[in-house]
Amino acid sequence: MNRIFWSIVGKELIGFIRSWQLVLVVLYMFSVEVYIAGSGIEINPRNVAVGYVDGTAGGLSQKILTHLHGPEFLAPRRFNSQRELSRAIFDKEIIVGLVFDADFEKKWRQNKSAQLDILMDATAASQAYTTLNYLQHIVLDISKVNIPVDIVTHKLFNQNADNHTFMALTELLSIITMLSIILTAVVFVREKEQGTWDLMLLMPVNPKVIILAKSFSQIIVVMTGIVISLGFVVLGIFNVPVNGSLSAFLLLSFFFVFAGSGIGLFIAAVARDVMQVAQLSIVVMMPLIFLSGAWTPIYAMHPALQYLSYISPLRYYIEGSESIFYRGTEWIDLWPYFMGVISVGGVMYWIGFRKIGRLF
Amino acid sequence: MGMLKIDQVSVTHNKRRAIKDASFSANEGEIIGFIGADGAGKSSLMHAIAGVIRFEGKISFQNTIYHSPSEAQILKSKIGLMPQGIGLVLYDLLTVGEHLDFFANIRDIRQDDRFNEYKNRLLRMAGLDKFIDRRAGNLSGGMMQKLSLICTLLHRPKLLILDEPTTGVDPLSRIELWKILDQIRCEEGTIALVSTAYMQEAAQMDRVLLFDEGEIIAQGCAKELIKSVQDMTYVRKPFTTPHSMSTLDTTYSLEPLEAEHAEPTLEALFFVNALQKNRILPSVEITPRDGDTSFSSVVMEAQGLTKTFGDFVANDRVDIRLCRGEILGLLGSNGAGKTTFIKMLLGLLPIDDGELNLLGKRIETAKDRQELKSSIGYVSQHFALYNDMTVRENLHYFASMHQIPMDIAIKRIARYSEELGFDGYMDAIPTELPLGINQRFSLAAALLHEPVILFLDEPTSGVDAIARAQFWQLLVALKEKWKIAILITTHYMSEAEFCDRIVLMRDGCKVADDTIPNLYTAHPNAKTFEEIFLEYYR
Repeated sequence: MNRIFWSIVGKELIGFIRSWQLVLVVLYMFSVEVYIAGSGIEINPRNVAVGYVDGTAGGLSQKILTHLHGPEFLAPRRFNSQRELSRAIFDKEIIVGLVFDADFEKKWRQNKSAQLDILMDATAASQAYTTLNYLQHIVLDISKVNIPVDIVTHKLFNQNADNHTFMALTELLSIITMLSIILTAVVFVREKEQGTWDLMLLMPVNPKVIILAKSFSQIIVVMTGIVISLGFVVLGIFNVPVNGSLSAFLLLSFFFVFAGSGIGLFIAAVARDVMQVAQLSIVVMMPLIFLSGAWTPIYAMHPALQYLSYISPLRYYIEGSESIFYRGTEWIDLWPYFMGVISVGGVMYWIGFRKIGRLF
Repeated sequence: MGMLKIDQVSVTHNKRRAIKDASFSANEGEIIGFIGADGAGKSSLMHAIAGVIRFEGKISFQNTIYHSPSEAQILKSKIGLMPQGIGLVLYDLLTVGEHLDFFANIRDIRQDDRFNEYKNRLLRMAGLDKFIDRRAGNLSGGMMQKLSLICTLLHRPKLLILDEPTTGVDPLSRIELWKILDQIRCEEGTIALVSTAYMQEAAQMDRVLLFDEGEIIAQGCAKELIKSVQDMTYVRKPFTTPHSMSTLDTTYSLEPLEAEHAEPTLEALFFVNALQKNRILPSVEITPRDGDTSFSSVVMEAQGLTKTFGDFVANDRVDIRLCRGEILGLLGSNGAGKTTFIKMLLGLLPIDDGELNLLGKRIETAKDRQELKSSIGYVSQHFALYNDMTVRENLHYFASMHQIPMDIAIKRIARYSEELGFDGYMDAIPTELPLGINQRFSLAAALLHEPVILFLDEPTSGVDAIARAQFWQLLVALKEKWKIAILITTHYMSEAEFCDRIVLMRDGCKVADDTIPNLYTAHPNAKTFEEIFLEYYR
């Protein structure tokens, strides 16, 4: 049995390595794709173009404007009239426009309520609102309101509140989900396409061994990809903190990849060719990723969706991975995540295994 | 008028020459046959003439000269192309009538009385007038091909290009296809270029082009061509000289032999061509197998095997007995139930009714099936093997699957590769190999575990005549030395004569099961096996 198992694993790995297009795609996913997600997706304001119309002599207004500097803002551009400024916002040259009326400084000096008008391009909603937040802080600072409260923040787990590390890690986890599903499905469906399916069935070998060995070979491929991605991109480029144990993460990943390959088995049983595998995987994968908390925190979802998210193994995997990387949770306290991934993943693998087993 | 002239046409696929410097011409109303193995360049030349792929050289049709697909565009309304593959141009979900309307519309044919009359006549000729409302997906293979043909004929093309229209089609439909073609070319003066795998069909055509390795090696009237090799064809001689080659019943030699001359067929031309180019294959030697050959005389016996898919009875109480040291030919057109029967024998489909005995033991449980699998060798159609592994890796993989000890496996692989003549290709990927080599290497993979039954599903389709002859010699040698039972399906009627016994299937039932001599005595009017086959279909 052992020899058969390893022969099949070996054959699938040889097949994987020889199809260089597939190797390239997998390497691309685990490196460039993770890098792009980590460096490209930006939630904080960056390079926001600011324009202003200044009707005052330019004391206080300039003081406020000096607070708008890089890397969040580009140097503010002066416009002669509000019409010109509106025009620039309309043409997408400016995202945020400040309008200082002629009596702005005068009113402020007289301690009357001075009004600062802000025009915003709200199509870039999150950037615009965070910018607004910045501006309120700046104005509050300058106003010297005497509230006897000082805010001192301690940012836990991610001291620089850097969302690159978070995005890179989330993307890695999504890619693991995708590849574990697709690669597993493809090793079976390729046999259907090449006409070797019957040959495989004709081997005097227990079908369970064939299914296990074939899915195991792809788990090896994905695990290798995880190690490469961790080493070069997640830890190498983005410097994601590792406060917990890396081996705990790898073990959790291993169980999770099993869950993914279970879905892959199910798809392989249904699909006739690689094209169908691609279509079905997308249909299955999207809800899995949306329900996992990868894009939105689970507590912010609709209550019904929150319940649904319990059946996404990715949910436990993402929470577990965050705990390991950021919170540095101890092995013993990771059990809920392991339990979640193993139980939901186990059920999924079992269903897939049964489904494809019927074809043998 | 209406002359087709092909001048020095070459086609290159991915830097590989598919056909080189092909030249021929055809007159109004002529049927030109293309024969040769898969990959010899027939389809490439057909597609070049139809103006659907790029080519070098010059083609002129009805005084219009074209060098490229774009220049051929104006001729498209006069050309009809039917590509290879059954029902490839049809849409499963459209009915016969909808197909005709659809093809008339995309060809922009004015649907007047004259057209309707022509359309109805085509339908009647094809025998499809009763099935106008049937969906194409529910037609038999023969009906599909007839429908494809009349769809191609709707716009009254003056140049008809048919790529293997009869392969895998039942003999009756084949005759009907030819009748339609014959009538159309008489009435419309259509030139028809037809490729075929059947030498008997080719012999009926006005002129024949023989293709070999991307070249036209001979062309002319079939009778003249056959006559030209008459002097080199002899009745089989057991010994061989350096300039001769033998099949199971004929020997071809460039030097005179002291033997009786035999009646050659078109295939003889391929042998003589190979001899002239000094491409001689080594003769076949098979050593006895490692395991013993003293198993029981009835190797496998199927009684009343039945398989139904819903309402459809795919196999209706089929009895087949396979004996030790016997080659059994399983014949029947597409859809006759061969594949279903084979799958039940192989243990790939559960048996609905009836019983199957292997070496005297009844196959019932899953464990029995596992045992069944380890005593069957199977060569699938198109020699499907793992295309991402080399020949050697494939063979080692099969050995591991059958749990053959490593040292024995290495010895066997070395021996088979030498005896079956592919030892020079051990580190190549199967897709890079010629079909004939692939065929023998697939056979080796199927024999690694020394099965008692060898099952071959159309192992010779698309393989050139010489490789086919050698393959049959191999099978006969295996039968004699190894005493295994061989079950083979084929659509070459000439090959059926090499089998010890023939089982003929039609619509899921067995209609004949006898030896060749007995079949000939039962049908005294038949001159060839093809004619016997036909009598069962009438």
